[in-house]
Amino acid sequence: MGDSLFLQIFLIINVFIMGILAAIAVRHAYAHFRPAPTEPDKPHPSRPTYQAVHLPPQVKERLLKAAQSNFQAVLDHTATELQRDLKSTSNQLNRQLEKIGTEIVNNETKRYHDMLEELRLQAETALRSSQAEIGGHQAEIKAKLDADMAAEQQRLIQQIDTKLGDAMASFLLETLQHNVDLGAQSAYLTATLEQHKADFTREVGHETPTAK
Amino acid sequence: MKLQLPNSVSSAQDVASIILEIKSYGRWFSHQAILQRTGAKHTTESPQLSPTATELLRSWSAKQPLTQTRLDELSTVLQQFIKSAQVVTITLAAPPTGDVKQTLVAWCRTNISPQILVSFQFNQTLLGGMVVRYGSRIFDWSFRRQILAARDTFPEVLRRV
Repeated sequence: MGDSLFLQIFLIINVFIMGILAAIAVRHAYAHFRPAPTEPDKPHPSRPTYQAVHLPPQVKERLLKAAQSNFQAVLDHTATELQRDLKSTSNQLNRQLEKIGTEIVNNETKRYHDMLEELRLQAETALRSSQAEIGGHQAEIKAKLDADMAAEQQRLIQQIDTKLGDAMASFLLETLQHNVDLGAQSAYLTATLEQHKADFTREVGHETPTAK
Repeated sequence: MKLQLPNSVSSAQDVASIILEIKSYGRWFSHQAILQRTGAKHTTESPQLSPTATELLRSWSAKQPLTQTRLDELSTVLQQFIKSAQVVTITLAAPPTGDVKQTLVAWCRTNISPQILVSFQFNQTLLGGMVVRYGSRIFDWSFRRQILAARDTFPEVLRRV
């Protein structure tokens, strides 16, 4: 951040200097190639009048050439300086830009890598948690399914047993209902009474019902 | 006097029927006594009595000669017997034969009380065995009851086969 600010200030100053130099160069060039028409000296009311010096044309020509060569030298020197400064600035800018670019790219790459690593860790943690949860759910569902199946199996067995019992009882009831031979049962009836004699006589002793 | 009924007389209806026979015989007996006192020649046939009633009259007149008073007394004793006797109801799977009836009545009078009355009913759905009711107590010893009670053990038996 500090380097960037310094660079910006440096660039602004350079631009300012370059602007000044360019303005001076343009002004001199304009004055050189399109000289303003020289008006005859008029006496200024507030200025004291000087007496005009008349130089010979050779001197004038020599002075003009000398001034022209001096101006040309200054202009060349300025252009050379400007070119060198521009080149230096350009190189510095390129280096700085390259450095900034590399730094930005490195930073972004590192941040990207960090972010990817963090996401990978998060995903791995979530995946591990999900796997554990899924495993727990699977075990729970399996246990519940086993219990349900066992209960259902038991219920079906019970149902089958009940149905079989009912069917057999119904079959016996239907079959035996019309085949009763009490004569053959006489001994069985007496034996039944003998078998329950104790209960029967005890009940008789408790209550004595009589005919109405 | 303690009345000893034959085993063929089992229920209160049987006793009531004998009372009717004895009353009918008593009316005939009275009529015959009047005819004897008046010296009338003609007599009428005695009413037809069942073997049970005949046997009862014979045993009743064993100790004292039969008179109109004794016959009335027998009727009264029989009516008192109906009122005071213990009653047991036996339901069978079919209408009981005389032998079955006498067997069961004999057992009851031997093992429970000599004066007990046994009435018989039948119900086909019992299949076999019997249901004995004595007062408010019911003993269900029928086949139907046993089959239904053993219904749950049937699958076990089936598995062992």
